[in-house]
Amino acid sequence: MNNSFATYLKNNAKMTDQQLEQLEGAIVKKTFQKGQFLSQKDSICKHAFFVESGLVRLYTIDSNGKEHVIQFAPENWFTGDRSSVYFNEISEYYIDAIEDTTVVLLDANFNNRAIEISPEFRIYNEKLLQNHIRHLQKRISMLIGASAEERYLDFIDLYPDLTLRVPQWMIASFLGITPESLSRVRKELARRNFRP
Amino acid sequence: MATKKIEIVVPPREPHFVGDGFRVHNYIPSAYRLDMKRMDPFIMLDYNSKFYFPPTEKPRGVGVHPHRGFETVTIAYQGKVEHHDSSGGGGVIGEGDVQWMTAASGVLHKEFHEENFSKEGGDFQMVQLWVNLPAKDKMSKPKYQGIANAQIAKVQLPDNGGEIEVIAGQYKDTQGSASTFTPLHLQNARLNKGGKASFSLPATFNTALLVIEGSVKVNGAETVATNHFVLFENEGTDFDIEALENAVVLILSGEPINEPIVAQGPFVMNTRAEITQAIHDYNTGKFGYLED
Repeated sequence: MNNSFATYLKNNAKMTDQQLEQLEGAIVKKTFQKGQFLSQKDSICKHAFFVESGLVRLYTIDSNGKEHVIQFAPENWFTGDRSSVYFNEISEYYIDAIEDTTVVLLDANFNNRAIEISPEFRIYNEKLLQNHIRHLQKRISMLIGASAEERYLDFIDLYPDLTLRVPQWMIASFLGITPESLSRVRKELARRNFRP
Repeated sequence: MATKKIEIVVPPREPHFVGDGFRVHNYIPSAYRLDMKRMDPFIMLDYNSKFYFPPTEKPRGVGVHPHRGFETVTIAYQGKVEHHDSSGGGGVIGEGDVQWMTAASGVLHKEFHEENFSKEGGDFQMVQLWVNLPAKDKMSKPKYQGIANAQIAKVQLPDNGGEIEVIAGQYKDTQGSASTFTPLHLQNARLNKGGKASFSLPATFNTALLVIEGSVKVNGAETVATNHFVLFENEGTDFDIEALENAVVLILSGEPINEPIVAQGPFVMNTRAEITQAIHDYNTGKFGYLED
């Protein structure tokens, strides 16, 4: 059993050492180097991923070749293409490593087994799902109705240190704005907040 | 006077690129036994050993990034680098020059090869050292000291042995050129073959040297090759080096600040909460703005 994911399950899903032992074998760890794909479009992505260390992103590429970042997943985040993992559909998404990354591979059966073993996990897993949906609702709302600055302020609240780990254009892509627009937002914030 | 003995000789690690303009070996803090605590107040040392960069129209370097809580010291041996920061500091440093930037409460800066150097290409060789600041000075005003080689105090060694450039601190009775927040010494020994230099530094200071060019014999006993880093014990005060061929050696010695160190990326503070604050301040424009 890997320490980091085990620690996560202990701390968050209140799982015991004994329960974690029963899960051994259902948890497989894999490392990816910066730039490597965890999953690609037109394949079936059989796993969801829990990021133990590093950083990955889930994104699409449109017909003009432009990338659109759907989600960043740093340490202790889950990511994956649910249509593929849970509905066995061909994936529309790419997932790649922005930094050298170690993930835990979680297949569709993992949740079922964990729920069988631990009622606490079932409660936690549901909370996780609700939280994920809440996050998606907010993301839709921001993309439809918020200004570039509001989107950026929400982003730094959600992912404080990613501004140090991810290039500007990728953040702009996540926010659905141009890199120039992101620069303007940051310049305007500096104008208001910089007190030399 | 008791001899200061070598604790460990550290060979260069595999180089990696910082941006596309600096091909560096890291010594502090990632090499074995050269962690921030052991090397306090020196918290990072990257060395771009001599490396040829071919001509390019677009200068190589590192784009805009923040710093808070410490000082960056760039020592140029070959090549030219241009610096700009959000507090208005900036300039070009070339062979023999030193740039001492106090990030303190926070700056954005960028570092690129100078335009003409980029166009012509050439050998590039520089050290970048991060010097920690004590808690009381971490949030002081940023400042910039551009120190041309001509301004650096020099001490001639006997028997045409070469000279010591006193960048900071002192050598014998000669004061260094840069101002520092805590007691430390930073010197380049430029030695002719057979030249000897002796040093007397407090036992309590963390003391090390890096052989930039040539090779030297330390304390008449151990030969240290190019690109190797020597950490001295915290006992004894005196050591000497002798050049086995023409050599350049960087000597660093500093009084430990002995405060907690919490580092994340470009921020080095005393607590986790201060790091969180630094990230928030950077994200919300409190470091200013600098065009890429």
